[in-house]
Amino acid sequence: MGNRKRSYKAEKVIERMGKKLNRQMVASLVACVHCGLCTEACHYVLANPGDPTYAPAYKADQVRKFFKRHFDWTGRILPWWVKAKSLYTDEELNELKDTVFGKCTNCRRCSLNCPMGVDYATFNRMARGLLVSVGVMPEGVAIVSKDQWEIGNQMGVLKEDYVETLDWLSDELEDELGDPAVRIPIDKMDADVVYSINPREIKYDPRTISDAAKIFYVAGENWTMPSECWDMTNFGLFSGDDDLGGAVGRRLYEKVVELRGGKLVISECGHGYRSTRCEAPNWAGMDVEFEMESSVLTMLRYIKEGRIRVDKTKNKIPVTFHDSCNNARSCGLFEEPRELLSLVVEDFREMYPNRAENYCCTGGGGAMSMSEYTPQRLKSAVTKANQMKDTGAEIVVTSCHNCVDGLTDLIRHYKLGMQVTQLVNLVANAVVVEKKVAVPVEAVPVMAEDNVLKGYRILVTDDEPDFVTFVSAVLEDHGASVSRAYSGDEALELARREKPNLITLDIAMPGKSGKEVFEEMRADSDLKRIPVCIITGRPELRRLIYDRPVPPPEGYMDKPVTEDGLLLNVRKILETAHEKKSSEA
Amino acid sequence: MSGLLHFSEHSLQEFALGFMALVYIIRLVWLIHFKAGRDRQAQTGAANTNPRKGFIYSWANIAMPWAMESTRTKFFLYVQFAIFHLGVTAAIGLSFVIPYAPGLLESAALVIILKTIIGAAFIVGVMRFVRRLSNKYMRAISSPDDYFSLTLLTAWFFFAYLSVPNSTESGEWHLLGYFILTAFFLVYVPFSKISHYLYYPFTRYYLGKTMGHRGVYPMRHVPQPREQR
Ligand code: SF4
Ligand code: SF4
Repeated sequence: MGNRKRSYKAEKVIERMGKKLNRQMVASLVACVHCGLCTEACHYVLANPGDPTYAPAYKADQVRKFFKRHFDWTGRILPWWVKAKSLYTDEELNELKDTVFGKCTNCRRCSLNCPMGVDYATFNRMARGLLVSVGVMPEGVAIVSKDQWEIGNQMGVLKEDYVETLDWLSDELEDELGDPAVRIPIDKMDADVVYSINPREIKYDPRTISDAAKIFYVAGENWTMPSECWDMTNFGLFSGDDDLGGAVGRRLYEKVVELRGGKLVISECGHGYRSTRCEAPNWAGMDVEFEMESSVLTMLRYIKEGRIRVDKTKNKIPVTFHDSCNNARSCGLFEEPRELLSLVVEDFREMYPNRAENYCCTGGGGAMSMSEYTPQRLKSAVTKANQMKDTGAEIVVTSCHNCVDGLTDLIRHYKLGMQVTQLVNLVANAVVVEKKVAVPVEAVPVMAEDNVLKGYRILVTDDEPDFVTFVSAVLEDHGASVSRAYSGDEALELARREKPNLITLDIAMPGKSGKEVFEEMRADSDLKRIPVCIITGRPELRRLIYDRPVPPPEGYMDKPVTEDGLLLNVRKILETAHEKKSSEA
Repeated sequence: MSGLLHFSEHSLQEFALGFMALVYIIRLVWLIHFKAGRDRQAQTGAANTNPRKGFIYSWANIAMPWAMESTRTKFFLYVQFAIFHLGVTAAIGLSFVIPYAPGLLESAALVIILKTIIGAAFIVGVMRFVRRLSNKYMRAISSPDDYFSLTLLTAWFFFAYLSVPNSTESGEWHLLGYFILTAFFLVYVPFSKISHYLYYPFTRYYLGKTMGHRGVYPMRHVPQPREQR
């Protein structure tokens, strides 16, 4: 193989490939006949006509070439004849990184369209794992993996914050349904259902948790949520790191056993479901004895068994359904969501192609955490955008948190004006709640709904005047007094002068950015205790905020925001801050 | 028949076949020495699917052009694929018929069938070559082996076509060309992409088994009235 010197990392990648190869992968690596039939199965190709570097077989060849050079005889003997080529430099590893992370979401659509049965997505994941093992990966992948290894969940949610959020949600539910039995049970032993979630739900979308709790409550389920090891997502699937994948899965499985739970129910998340339900037992090398099921199946079962009743007239707006690649193409979960939708919405419109043939939301494979590839991700989303637009629906439903982010981003980019929601939200909205209040509840002074923010001063910061007007109007309608800032400097000045109870902050603003404002606030002894809610149209910039050596913001929302979502988040932050203050006092 | 032609039809073919078989066995042993990954998880998806149905469906997939979007929307390429592979089967069959059962070629019907299939395969070979050269995506993924293998097979079809019905009236050159190319083809196959049919059962078996276990295969064919292309 010549005398060319190979870098330490390249050497390790080749050495470790030998250990990772299994029969399935080797067969896929040797079987491609370069027929090109998979080319147009890939959303990247469709969005970049004429650029062959996006073709699945071309991308696969970037991995195949060093496999052939080192493990396959034709490539060893006559490398140029079969385009075999070794890896030598760190520069080449970086180029490979841009292919396996930046040009493929591991959606497996090409795999199902290859007449030879070549499963490119599987060995693309292996290649990711090899690069990760030598530290070559997008920054976001490194950050999220680190959080999942060290803190136990991929968004670095601390136990106190998690429990506090569940408590707050319980309070809200108790207020809404007037029954203390609706509270979310934490660490309850011998529950029939242990419910695991995506940390995104705690951080950005707590309504999905309270909606699920409402459904469990109405169904009379004996359920619980663990106080630790509750993250069913698994960044190992995206990073290709089987050790991380196995460790994360094992933590959750062991928690269920420790709680003597009957069944693990996995909230709506494509990669979480695939990892926890299907892949992690393989990565962890353990046989899981208890049953695991997607919450979609749980909700459907409740309706079929008559444990909950639903009224589909509550969901009148036309909806369509986006199949998550992991759910549909890797777990066969595509009929049940449709069956459930048909029970809880009035106007369902199919998206074409669908089920296992659906196109990726383009945020899959961890793409949402790789901000360096955002422009090409959004460009490749045009196929999905057209698919969605063609349905004429106003809401797109998906059973995946990753897809929620990916779709939200593309809706904004392509100005589709649609909303994204999950089945749990629709089911909770349609569920008929029978009055069950038997226990007398201590009278709590309930504030009139339109005055819930009375007495609070909130500073709204965004460089888009329309958005400031919208947020201000919602907050003022509910009693808050609002100040408005259109730049970072203005926000700091007003914050110092008015000491508001809460600041909403955009990240990308001309002049001083939200990130800088946030850091200055956290460093300022007068301002550091003011809660901050980030509201941004650029989710890829999240890491700019969360990857700081300062306490994270108290809230986070993606644009577009809805009135309900805004109120829910703002109330949660204010109430939590209030409780914190009281306990400190 | 000249001694050279006799040698080409018999000893050369037997040697080439033996060599191919030996290399194939080595190749299979090599593939099998890699440990197969295991699916520990309980089955997902529709209750009426399972790994066995999955791999049977996967193997049968080749004969179901409607099963994949890629073959459904590029039906012409699928037809080309079918003709090309029928041509390979016919031309291989011919290499046994001529030396061991030449009497079969007295059947005019068989001659017409063989000529039609092999002739059509030759035309498809040329078309595939043009596609590989003219399509940007195909050029980007093609290696010298891809071009050479296709050229080899197309030339082989050409000689096979001329070799039906085993007539030496206008000389032996076409038969010699056909048998020498057949021998070369047999020796070259294990080192080239042409050996894909050796791997095909494995790739499709494992993909099908996993997809059957996951409830994806057999695919439920829902009409997709608005294909993207
Ligand atoms: S369809 Fe399969 S065999 Fe053909 S180029 Fe793509 S991966 Fe290779
Ligand atoms: S797995 Fe998906 S994104 Fe990756 S090459 Fe195949 S079709 Fe494209």
